[in-house]
Amino acid sequence: MGKITRRKILQTGLAAGAFLAATRCAAPKGTPNNPAPGPEVNTNQIKDVTLRFIGTGVSQVNEIRDKAEADLGFKLDMRALSTEENNQIAISQPGQYDIFDGEYFSLPLVIPSGNLQPIDITRIKDFDKIVPFFTSGKFNGMPVESSQGTAPYKVMYLTGPDSTEFSATPTDWATLIPFQYNADTLGYRPDLVGRKIETWAELFNPEFKGKTSILDIPQIGIMDAAMVAEAAGLMTFGDKGNMTKAEIDQITDILKDQKKAGQFRAFWKTFDESVNLMASGEVVLQSMWSPAVTAVKSKGIGCVYAPFKEGYRGWGGGVGLSKKLEGIALDAAYDYMNWMLDGWVGAFLGRQGYYSAAPENAKKFMSPEEWDFWYEGKSAAVDMIDPFGATLEKAGSVRDGGSFKERFGNIVVWNSTMNENVYLVQKWQEFIAS
Amino acid sequence: MNWKSLQPYLLVTPQTLIFLVFLVFPILLIGVVSFWGFNGYAMVPGFTWDNYIGVFTSEVALKIYLNTFRYVGLVWVCSLAIAFPVAYFLAFHIDSLRWKVILFLVCTIPFWTSNIIRNIAWVPLLGKEGLVNQILQSLHLTQQPLEFLLYSDFAVVLGLVYLYTFFMIAPIFNSLMRIDRNLITAARDMGASGFQVLKEVILPLAAPGIAIGSIFVTTLVMGEFVTVRLMGGGQSASIGKLISTQIGSLQYPLAAANAVILLAVTLVMVAAILQVVDIRQEL
Amino acid sequence: MLNPSAPTSSTASRAEHAVAQDEGGASVAIAPQTAGISLRSVTKRYGSVLAIKQINLEIAAGSYCCLLGPSGCGKTTTLRMIAGHETITSGEIWIGNSRVNALPPAKRNTAMVFQNYALFPHKTVRQNIDFGLKMRRISPRERAQRVDEMLDIVGLKEFAQRKPDKLSGGQQQRVALARALVTRPQVLLLDEPLSALDENLRVKTRGELRKLQRQFGMTFIQVTHAQDEAFSLSDQIVVMDHGQVDQVGTPQTIFNQPASKFVAQFIGDNNIFSGTVVQVDPGEKGAMIQLDVAGLGRFRCTGQAANVGMAAAFCVRADQMTLHSPGHSEIKDDNASSNQVSARITAVEFTGYVTRVSLMLEATGQEILYKALTQDWGAHQLQEGQLIPLSWRVNDSIFLSH
Repeated sequence: MGKITRRKILQTGLAAGAFLAATRCAAPKGTPNNPAPGPEVNTNQIKDVTLRFIGTGVSQVNEIRDKAEADLGFKLDMRALSTEENNQIAISQPGQYDIFDGEYFSLPLVIPSGNLQPIDITRIKDFDKIVPFFTSGKFNGMPVESSQGTAPYKVMYLTGPDSTEFSATPTDWATLIPFQYNADTLGYRPDLVGRKIETWAELFNPEFKGKTSILDIPQIGIMDAAMVAEAAGLMTFGDKGNMTKAEIDQITDILKDQKKAGQFRAFWKTFDESVNLMASGEVVLQSMWSPAVTAVKSKGIGCVYAPFKEGYRGWGGGVGLSKKLEGIALDAAYDYMNWMLDGWVGAFLGRQGYYSAAPENAKKFMSPEEWDFWYEGKSAAVDMIDPFGATLEKAGSVRDGGSFKERFGNIVVWNSTMNENVYLVQKWQEFIAS
Repeated sequence: MNWKSLQPYLLVTPQTLIFLVFLVFPILLIGVVSFWGFNGYAMVPGFTWDNYIGVFTSEVALKIYLNTFRYVGLVWVCSLAIAFPVAYFLAFHIDSLRWKVILFLVCTIPFWTSNIIRNIAWVPLLGKEGLVNQILQSLHLTQQPLEFLLYSDFAVVLGLVYLYTFFMIAPIFNSLMRIDRNLITAARDMGASGFQVLKEVILPLAAPGIAIGSIFVTTLVMGEFVTVRLMGGGQSASIGKLISTQIGSLQYPLAAANAVILLAVTLVMVAAILQVVDIRQEL
Repeated sequence: MLNPSAPTSSTASRAEHAVAQDEGGASVAIAPQTAGISLRSVTKRYGSVLAIKQINLEIAAGSYCCLLGPSGCGKTTTLRMIAGHETITSGEIWIGNSRVNALPPAKRNTAMVFQNYALFPHKTVRQNIDFGLKMRRISPRERAQRVDEMLDIVGLKEFAQRKPDKLSGGQQQRVALARALVTRPQVLLLDEPLSALDENLRVKTRGELRKLQRQFGMTFIQVTHAQDEAFSLSDQIVVMDHGQVDQVGTPQTIFNQPASKFVAQFIGDNNIFSGTVVQVDPGEKGAMIQLDVAGLGRFRCTGQAANVGMAAAFCVRADQMTLHSPGHSEIKDDNASSNQVSARITAVEFTGYVTRVSLMLEATGQEILYKALTQDWGAHQLQEGQLIPLSWRVNDSIFLSH
């Protein structure tokens, strides 16, 4: 009733600006153009807040920003960066951002700088609904529980509210709230390969000589190489996520031999390069990221994200808080993190083939057919349409790698920052230059 | 000091400041950082020779430098071999100034799109199922697709030559345009053959242009990393790419040390070119 | 190749110049080869532009010939056609006994001295002079000897190792000459060789050029736009205009008997009167021609032939008019041998030895020029604005048919 009254007054042509200001003071619950989002948010002050995000391109999605701004009433400013720039700014320029959207394996580099403030878990409403391999390291007793590398769980908690030290056991202080994660493997062109690829070892199979590719980011590329070498029985590792110098030497030698033998067609560094290599047929089997497989498929070219008996290489990313963040802006940041776990974002990502940090919340926003296809590994009952209207999968198809549990339960190693990182980069250069 | 005598100094002050702030200061900073230590995620201010010792004792660094020199040499030879005839044709065989300008602009086509798009566009041309391979196979010149056309040293050199030949064409063209046509007539008058005119008159007078072009090509190729990565399919190494990987891995002091060495090596190469040819008349 | 109508053969004058003396008196053995040149109906066309129109020209072997004319008259094009740097559209060029239409420059036994010299800036004086010999694959010993010889002749021995930009204009000019002469051409072609020099040097170098020509005995063909240069150097002057030859003759002929209004004008200091031929009286040494000039009356002049009624002109040189005192109305000479006009002095210009007086004809407003020795002019005590009678002899009035 009150809204109608206001509209009538506006139509009569009174000084709208002054009046709006007055009504906002009088009616803190909102205005016709800016409805109140929820009872716990103080719209009156929080509308002036702008949260500055830095993050990798993958997680910077305009639709999510627009929806968050509409739901939460404050502004989000997102800066898309490469993983490297993201870490550089997080470490060296804490004044440049409010929220850091980065990967867990960057934390051993970022946390010691003291530029992130621990997240108070008591203020995260749905923290207990987050997938357990983030929060407790447990997952139905599956292989992921004993995975190698910088597992998110290992860098999830800090020892106290002002700490820069990781805690091996859960505390009330978290580093990042998970946002996006995946289980990476090799992708291949079924039409050009002509059979099923079931093991990492195939990357070194002479059958594909000159038709394979590997990722040219030393820290990640070396891990895919390690998966392949181990699967092929060429060598074993104590911890693929934290190799010794001797192990790095050995795997580099193996890579050099493969390169010399002409096994690789090319190495790639960016998403687009990997899509281009695969779509053009220059490469038939290579390291790949999940959305790149989707991109190849969207060109009408068959591409399989292969589930392997040896398991996956996992990675996870999330959002953390700048230590400079305080007061109302800090409140807004907590609002954002709660909203992020609430389900809408999870469903939005789920329809593109990503996974939600709190799947049961996302389920509320997804159709049963969608849930069955994306999370349960069942064949699609209807065509799967992404949020932008493109058909990703036809009815009847089955998701590569099967259900959520099958995929993530089989992560055996996580993206890592190794102690011997400097040595690793040097040896990787040697490999590239060989 | 009165106002008049101050004037010239005030006039050069803005440029000097810009020069100092945006060129000299950053280079000095790189020099300083190259002596710092680092611990995996951050730089540690201090003074250490470790970064330089690391570079000079590393076989990889040496190998990468040699590989970079190889690119410089190959690109230089190829771009000169292409640029000189092109510039010569433009300067001496196109009479109308209008057509000279149009054809000269045609030489800038490689710069009409972004580096990335330009490099990706090579795939449909040189890829295994690319145009060149299809033509070769349909003419029965080859049975299998030639893989070396893309993602190889050949492709790197091709990409660099494609990009940087223009930097050779422009100064040579400029030099050739400055040659008094009567000198060629005079040489002919005295019995010089076409080849002798080229050898005795045109080449010596084009030398400053060739030198300037060589400086462009040398310095550009020495620091190149994008084309090396994209055309080499990531399998080729150059010193620029080494630095970029080190920066990507947060190893700034190592990258800075390499940058300082790269700068020094490049300056030595430029100095060597200037020793051979006097370019003053072109400036 | 033998051709009965070939110009003066090169063999004819060989013996006469077997040995020439250089400045220092040392004997320099120079084999004087020379050749005459013949242009027959030579035409040059650039697209639709007709640059040279059917030129016919004979230049005697061993002579000094100047192609004289304003810029754009085709004189340089003619020179370059002789040298072989321009193709000819039609016609024939003969050098000595050879038809050279299709021969490259180096095979024509000519050598060219370019305007602004076209010295190779990257080569030393010695290398510049040596160039033609080197191209001809002459043995290094002979080359060195002949270059030294030329350096001596042009007096540049101590500058042998310098680059051209370290030489004065005059020195550069001598290098250019030496470079052309060292190959011992039959014909030396010079394109405005003096135009880049200052006035004093020009006069001095003129003398040197003439001396070199005598010394070497070869044919010199020089392009110039300066009549004094042409007069002082030439055995034969070819006046060109609009791609055609207007008059060919000795300097004296060109000066005293210009054949056309253009030549009369270009040679300078001629007063030209245009009119209609009203009477022609043929005589032993030519005709006495009477012209009616509008507003001035009837004048007599001498010429070869004319038709009554044709539009024509005559000229009289500014220094061949006679000045009379103001008010002097009767001219003593009878009308048969003298012409007369009355003009007002508009300007007096002192130029040193000579004073130039501008006048305007009272009747028609035409400007005329009178030149007198300064000392003679002083005696007249005349001033600007005064109206005075001028007269000239009929024999000094030259009929101009076109």
